[in-house]
Amino acid sequence: MRLFKLTFATIFHRKAWVICAIAVGILPFILPYLSTASEKPVLVQPARIQAAWGALWISALCWGLFTAAQQGENNAKTGVGEYFLTTGMSITRQLLQIWLAIFCYILPFTLIAAAVSQFAALPAAPAERAMWWVLNSQYVCLFLIVIAPLLLLSTALASRFGGITGFAITLGLALYGLYGVGYLDNMLKLEPNAVLRGLWIFSPHYHFADITQRLYFKSGAIAGSSFGMMVAYFLAITAVYGGISRLSFRARISS
Amino acid sequence: MSLPASHPIIHLESGLGIGYGAPIARFEKEATLGAGTHFLLARNGRGKTTLLRTIARTLRQVSGSFRTTGFLQYLPEDLRFDPEITAETVFRMLIPRNRHLEALDLAKSIELDVKKPYGKLSTGNRRKTSLIVAEFSIRPDQGNILLLDEPFSGLDAFARQAFEEIWLKSSSNVLRLVSCHPDYDSMLMPSALMIEDQHIKHITSPNQTWRDLKPLLN
Repeated sequence: MRLFKLTFATIFHRKAWVICAIAVGILPFILPYLSTASEKPVLVQPARIQAAWGALWISALCWGLFTAAQQGENNAKTGVGEYFLTTGMSITRQLLQIWLAIFCYILPFTLIAAAVSQFAALPAAPAERAMWWVLNSQYVCLFLIVIAPLLLLSTALASRFGGITGFAITLGLALYGLYGVGYLDNMLKLEPNAVLRGLWIFSPHYHFADITQRLYFKSGAIAGSSFGMMVAYFLAITAVYGGISRLSFRARISS
Repeated sequence: MSLPASHPIIHLESGLGIGYGAPIARFEKEATLGAGTHFLLARNGRGKTTLLRTIARTLRQVSGSFRTTGFLQYLPEDLRFDPEITAETVFRMLIPRNRHLEALDLAKSIELDVKKPYGKLSTGNRRKTSLIVAEFSIRPDQGNILLLDEPFSGLDAFARQAFEEIWLKSSSNVLRLVSCHPDYDSMLMPSALMIEDQHIKHITSPNQTWRDLKPLLN
C-alpha cells in the first residue's frame, strides 16, 4: 500500500481538503441564516439539508474529481508510477491505490453531510423521523456509488490524456447525468427524436442519485425494490467505468 | 549451478536488442551481472536509459531475451515527488517503518533538509531523496536489483561518497546497475556495460578505471 500512503499523504499536505470539510461540516449551520430561512424558522432545517448535500456534491465534483485527475496525471508524469511498476506493483493496483486514497477523503465528507442531515435536520413528526435514517443511508449509498467510479475514471483518463482532460470529461459527465439528462428528457417530450431518445437511454442518469429534494420535502424512504434497481443500475455504470478506467490508465508516459 | 535466492542476477542474452521500435543497440555476446556495482557508460543518446527501462520491463526489447532474479527497483532520472510534501513524509510513506530512523540519520549526514517542501529542494537534494527511498526499500532477506539512472547528477562529492559506502556495505545481496558520466579519471569501474557503435559490451577487469574505458567510447 505504499502508493496509497504516498497519495493520501500528498493530498493531506496540500490542505485543500480542509475547505471541503468546512463546506460540508460548517456551512450548513451558517448558510440557512443568510437565506430567507432566517425569516421563517421552519425553513432552517430544509435549508440545512440542501446546504449539506449541496456542499458535498460540489466538493466531490470539483475538488474530488480535480484531485483524482491531478494524482493520476502526476503518477504518470513524475516517474512515480514507473518506479512502482518496476517494483512489481501492477497498473491495476496502482489505479486502485490512488483511487482509494481519494475515496478515503470523500467517504468522511459523505458521512459528515449525512450526520448533519440526520441529526441537525431531524423532522419532528414521528413517522418522518422513523424513515429519516433510512433515507439518509440510501442517499449515502447512492452518492458513493455514483462518485466512486467517476473518481476512478478521472484518475485513469488524466494519466493518459492529462489532468485537464480527465477532470473536464468526468465533471462534464457528472453534470450531464445530474442536469443535462433532464433537459434532454424535456426536449424529447416536446419533439420526439429517435437519435436523442437513444442517447437519453444510454446516458448516465445520475439525477436518480440526487435525492436532496426527497429529504427536503420529507417524502420518505425509497421503496426497497426501487432502491435495489437504482443500486444495480449504478453498479452497472461502475462496471463500465471500471473497464474503461483500467484500459486507459497508464503508469508512465510512453516515450 | 543455481545460486541461492539472496543472489541477484541480470542475465542478458546475446542478440538482445533495445530501442523504441527501431533497434538502437544490441548485445553481441551474452552478459551476466551478479551482486555488486556495475556501471553503464555511453555518450548521450546511445541508449543508457533505454537499456535500464528494458531491464526494468517498462519498455519491450526489440529482439532477444534476458532474465532477472531479485527484487527490482528502477529509479528514473526524472523521478520527482509532489512539491508540497517534505522528504520526511516521502520516507515515512515509502520506507519500511523499522528503517525510518536510519534513513533520517543518513539524510542528516548528507545535509538533506527533510522538513523542507520537496519543491523547494535543489536538484541534488531531490536526487538524495529518491536515492534514500531506493536504498532503504531494499529487501534484506533476498536479492535486490537497483537500476539507477544518472544517480550522481547534481549530487555533491560528500553525498556521493556516502552512497558509495552504502553500496559497498550491501554489495553481497544488491546488484546495482548505474548509468553515469564519470567526472574523474581514477574512478574505479571493475565491471562496466558500454554502449558504442550500437553494440553493448560487458567489460570487466579488477583495476580498470574510467581513464581506461573513456577511449573506448566513440
